[in-house]
Amino acid sequence: MNTAGAAPGAAFQELALRVAATLTQLRAARDVTVGCSARRAVWQLGKTTLYQYLPLAGAAPVAGARPLLICFALVNRPYVLDLDPERSLVRRLLAAGLTVYLIDWGDPDEADRGTELGDYIETHLGGCVQHVLQAHACPALDLLGVCQGGVLSLCYAALHPQTVARLVTITTPVDFHTPDNLLAKWVRDVDTALIEASGNIPGELLNTLFLALMPLRLTQQKYVRLLTGHADQRTIEAFVRMEKWIFDSPPQAARALAQFVRWFYQENRLVRGTLEIGGRRVDLGAVRAPLLNLYALEDHIVPPQACAVLERYVGSRDYSACALATGHIGMYVSRSARTEIPARICAWLQPRSARRAQERRASARS
Amino acid sequence: MNDPFGSSRPEAAFSGAAERFLELLKSFGMPGAAAGGRPPDWSGLAGPLASQFEQWLKMSQASGPWFGAGAAPGGFAAAAPAWAFGPLPLGPAAVQGNEAPRVLELLGRLGQLQGQLATHWSEVAQRAAGSFIARLGGAPAAPATPDEALRLYELWVECAEEAYGATVRRDDFCRLQAELANASAALLVEQRRHAETLVRAFGLPTRSEVDALYGQLKELRAQLAQLRVQPADRAPRAPRPRAAKGRSRPPRKRRTARGRGSRS
Repeated sequence: MNTAGAAPGAAFQELALRVAATLTQLRAARDVTVGCSARRAVWQLGKTTLYQYLPLAGAAPVAGARPLLICFALVNRPYVLDLDPERSLVRRLLAAGLTVYLIDWGDPDEADRGTELGDYIETHLGGCVQHVLQAHACPALDLLGVCQGGVLSLCYAALHPQTVARLVTITTPVDFHTPDNLLAKWVRDVDTALIEASGNIPGELLNTLFLALMPLRLTQQKYVRLLTGHADQRTIEAFVRMEKWIFDSPPQAARALAQFVRWFYQENRLVRGTLEIGGRRVDLGAVRAPLLNLYALEDHIVPPQACAVLERYVGSRDYSACALATGHIGMYVSRSARTEIPARICAWLQPRSARRAQERRASARS
Repeated sequence: MNDPFGSSRPEAAFSGAAERFLELLKSFGMPGAAAGGRPPDWSGLAGPLASQFEQWLKMSQASGPWFGAGAAPGGFAAAAPAWAFGPLPLGPAAVQGNEAPRVLELLGRLGQLQGQLATHWSEVAQRAAGSFIARLGGAPAAPATPDEALRLYELWVECAEEAYGATVRRDDFCRLQAELANASAALLVEQRRHAETLVRAFGLPTRSEVDALYGQLKELRAQLAQLRVQPADRAPRAPRPRAAKGRSRPPRKRRTARGRGSRS
């Protein structure tokens, strides 16, 4: 409706009507579901579950490809990688013929208060890696770490380089002391021993913290922007799926979170080379696997510079990086990133898989 | 899957944001929104605008993004208004019967810190409103179309976020945030200490005792895993898989020696 030149008050009435219409659409989208690709749980330890996604019909397996294990952050749910058929990194990887596994860390409860970061890296992530390796009878897999999951993946790859053939990191902070890291500034003087003693941290607290980085944009403007045009029901459903994900953060095991805050945010041990997991030093230089580093230029949670420096610290000779003009959440669901990221990952993996297939054929002939 | 925010959250959040947006349009003198359709007095708008924003900041962040005071019990969804990113049922809100001097001391400290936070919010709001009025320039007409109203709103959000961002990055604000977190956590720890005393008096196991048991269990599991590890293999071995729950699809039938599928 064009209200220019209309009676005074018509524009306001038009906005009020849009509000009512959008509210109806949101109500209709109330029961949207998340997670669209078929999968089965193949391994469990504590609250952690390893899923294997079932291959898509008609997707031809890639010659020489290794199984790909996705390691998501502890602080969010991994289903954002498989929200719906249009917004699914997992689905696009499956369509490219890859064998995809994903770690879901689950909901830690009071029994997990003492779970350490080292447990998550060595026992849980390590257990998943070993399961996949045994299932496929191969010595190494491809590891894709997302956000905090990328940090865990880097640690694992540094400690067990022989089991990680190739590494992909998405929005993964490496240097936690870049000047634009607001979260790091906020937690700099936090007493992590007290935080640990006060018990597991509710997911809502972390949501609150993330929203407080840009409160008006993240709690007001995004809703008002629904009034800018006449969004169709599918767009509204996609919006509600994201809302579900944003507000669905799992609780955090007290000790692991306190360690993460202290070791990474406060002491920046990963780049200082002082991080120890399970009594072993994590040396990023030991990561020699080919590495693809993807990050967002407008990321308000993980500043791009925090990710970009990875090249300086790893020992990988085959290193590629790609910065996308989007934000942290946009990396998973924005129109451009949802096609560009899987395309880039597949394009990066494919020639390396082909090379491996060639080598295997050659060694079989000889 | 559990519904993380209750079935009404996106609608409630949207309603709240839309309501505040329409309220803002009244301040902007939008015909049909303002009482009597009066043209806006842009020069006098800074005060009310700052006051509205300050109020919103205080309401939605009672004590910053950390533990809030005065939240209702019953979980985040019950405690927070749908649009808020604010208080959690932790810290002072979780303390019952807090006569102990240490608890009172911590409550006092929290009140003091919240007062300091309120000063920051006031400053943010003043700066945001001032910057908005300055960027409007001259005496523009009130928005006459939905697009104009939305553009004005975008400008307001930009100014508000800039003012907020400038403050929350400052060292004094960051220290205050950390102090709030520490004081809230200390209060919770103190409260638990009281609860443990009470629980012990009734001969019930305390949290510390349960934690100690979990610690022992973890140690025993680690020892067991160690015994299973081959000396040459330093990589962690996958513990034996358990029957996995919550399959999205029923597991595939195993092939039997006689052919495909299981036969009963």
